[in-house]
Amino acid sequence: MAASTSRPLEYLEGLPGTTFNKLYQQPSTALAIFRRMLPDLAKCFVMALLYLKDPLPMADLELWVNAESRKQRDNAISILGRLHILQSKLSDEKVRTYVVTDPFATSLRQALTGSADTLSFGVLSNTPDEYKISIDFLDDYARRQWEAVLGYMVGTSAFEQRGPRDGASLSEGVKQLLQAGHLVELRGRSVDITKDGFGFVLQDVNTQVWHILILYVQTAEAIGMDSVEVLSFLFLLSSLELGRSYEKKHLTPDQVRTLSGLADFGIVYQESPEATQFYPTRLATTLTSDSSALSNPVTGSMGPAGQPGSSGSGFIIIETNYRLYAYTSSPLQISLISLFTNLKYRFPNLVTGKVTRQSVRRAIEMGITADQIISYLLTHAHPQMRKHNAGHSTSNTGGVPPSVLPPTVTDQIRLWQLERDRLRATAGFLFKDFTNFAEYQAPCQYAAEVGVLVWKSDRKRMFFVTRHEQVAAFLKNRK
Amino acid sequence: MNSVDASEHYELGAIDLAPSLLTVVIDTNPHAWAALEDSLPLSKAVANILVFINAHLACNYANEVAVVASHSQKAAWLYPVPNSTSDREGDITMNANGAPAQMNKYRPFRVVEEQVTRRLKDLMDSTSSDDLKGNTSTMLAGALTLVLSHINRRTIAWAEEHGGASLEDAADSGAGSGANRYSASNDDERLQSRILIVSVSGSSDSAHQYIPVMNSIFACQRLQIPIDVCKLSGDAVFLQQACDATKGIYMALSEPRGLLQYLMMAFLPDQRSRRHLVLPTREDVDFRAACFCHRRVVNIGFVCSICLSIFCEAPPGGACLTCGTELDIGEYDVKPALMKRKKKKKKPANGTSAAGTPVSTPTPGP
Repeated sequence: MAASTSRPLEYLEGLPGTTFNKLYQQPSTALAIFRRMLPDLAKCFVMALLYLKDPLPMADLELWVNAESRKQRDNAISILGRLHILQSKLSDEKVRTYVVTDPFATSLRQALTGSADTLSFGVLSNTPDEYKISIDFLDDYARRQWEAVLGYMVGTSAFEQRGPRDGASLSEGVKQLLQAGHLVELRGRSVDITKDGFGFVLQDVNTQVWHILILYVQTAEAIGMDSVEVLSFLFLLSSLELGRSYEKKHLTPDQVRTLSGLADFGIVYQESPEATQFYPTRLATTLTSDSSALSNPVTGSMGPAGQPGSSGSGFIIIETNYRLYAYTSSPLQISLISLFTNLKYRFPNLVTGKVTRQSVRRAIEMGITADQIISYLLTHAHPQMRKHNAGHSTSNTGGVPPSVLPPTVTDQIRLWQLERDRLRATAGFLFKDFTNFAEYQAPCQYAAEVGVLVWKSDRKRMFFVTRHEQVAAFLKNRK
Repeated sequence: MNSVDASEHYELGAIDLAPSLLTVVIDTNPHAWAALEDSLPLSKAVANILVFINAHLACNYANEVAVVASHSQKAAWLYPVPNSTSDREGDITMNANGAPAQMNKYRPFRVVEEQVTRRLKDLMDSTSSDDLKGNTSTMLAGALTLVLSHINRRTIAWAEEHGGASLEDAADSGAGSGANRYSASNDDERLQSRILIVSVSGSSDSAHQYIPVMNSIFACQRLQIPIDVCKLSGDAVFLQQACDATKGIYMALSEPRGLLQYLMMAFLPDQRSRRHLVLPTREDVDFRAACFCHRRVVNIGFVCSICLSIFCEAPPGGACLTCGTELDIGEYDVKPALMKRKKKKKKPANGTSAAGTPVSTPTPGP
């Protein structure tokens, strides 16, 4: 959850408070943000406070959480604060209390009870189509468009494979968006994939879609569209139902524009730009699910060709001796794997190769990180590997959750990266010039508990954090 | 170097958190609800429970829900309705033509709500007054069994869909691997199921189902499915034991009108979140059992030494009613023979010597 949520979360955090105020007017937005962006514990807090008449004293909330889970609690509260969902107030009796902020609370309540009158969850289209659009068709459409996007990025780079072009057309808008996001670069006539682009293509589909959507919102602002409208439309999309058509006439002009932009990516489908209705595809309807919920026809067919009905999306087997077997014939997947593997043999439905120091270093030089390689292998691991390793490691690792990939391989890939990566830059804030040790130690400890501490030196009375808001608030509270 | 320590590379694996399945058993015993009419009528309670269910569904895209009514003479599915494909189609067309107000509701929420209310209404309509005469209890055992079988089915189906570790284990070792299927694989990997019983009936009513209820409870205990009980009225002995055995939450509401807040605060967190929270606990669990012969709740009874069946009075003929073993009850009902105390004649001699020495010597006086 954490890995895939981070990007949209970061973007949302950067928005000003007034934007949140506007966003939270829509029940669908409140619901989507609640579902997608919050950790489990934060969801419990919100729900517990939602129907509470009086604000909950801070001390009571702290009592509710186990002493061992303070870190999770602080993390949850900090995310809620950053998303402007939870507010701490000083009550009349001078007790610090928490309350769910208003537009969010009202909207979420409306979402739960369905009492609002805002048509927030889309309007189903009544007019029957001449020919029925089936879910299979939508899946196929989404897959083709999405593969075309990835193929455009990978296939035109220096690799021997060409992206699949089975009829899917890429509009100029898509290409411009990819450039604006620095995922590809135009060099003369040829298109080169960038470091960010490599990272992008190795992610799982859900994260990729979010990445594109955030890019879209950012560029939408630049060309004068209202980002709030676009964003709330995206969240609306995520609450629609697959295989049903929705009316366009209730949308604002900006949203209609967004719609045709998203159609190019295969996120929604419309017969023609003039059509009065649109269909969300699976890429849209699973936006607010975790990545695991996407083990469905879209991702499935992106991997192994010809077995769309099989369960799970994985097709890669990697052994402890670094040998890799990928049951796929998709040129896109093969060229992705070849980014960090020395491929040896190719069969009609299988390629084999070996992950070596050389091949991993080559990938890292191109800007791919070890984590990206590992998460790619993990998301596409063959069901057999999940079954086998999960079943085995419960008996011998005792307490440590089983990992699907062989630990030797993941560790070694990280070590290979470290050989090159000796320096790492972290943006953040330095706290220094504390007058005495006690004054230094309390915020430092707090920062460590909240999980923002990067470095500290007791001797110099300095510490370095990734975000300063909470530590500053902590210091203020102490005074 | 921090990036190679053990803590980090397991976090990647933990991304896939299994969704949870909430099964709600609503006790719809008309007698008990009639008694609650003033403070919390059934319609209001159901509305509250529906909001709670929506909140559960809102927490995760893949969360599931099942609702069973434990009625006076039968247990019935409220959601999902078995083989309801045709029903659902009917639903959709109806709404498409119907009021646009329906569009203000997230569709999964609406589907649950419509089915539950419609099925509940059907259930109430089909209840005749004859059914209610002389039957003041609720089919808790039946409802629990329905729910358990549903959980079992969903757990297996979910594991299959996600290529879980347990598929083959479950298949090759047959019935004995039931626990294995649930507990051997990592806790976070399987479907997180739990049962919530919204109970209104009293304990004496359900005593006649003691054995099936306890069997369901033990099944839950073995499968690590917590049973939460939200008690609106009365106080049921067995349900306290159920929560205690399965590590669920038992709450008897002092103010039934606040049902929704109780539900949201105490019963919404799933097993994963519960690890971080301080949960309401109960110290005084009522561990009394019901006897096998007359279904009375007993404090002290007779226990068969072979099969551990409980009887409130000595079984007739001294044969256990369950296993048929001839029990040697002996001189039951005869007052225990009192041993006559030994004559006191000897005691004074011992007594004085024993008591006299320690007492008399250490008193030198002030």
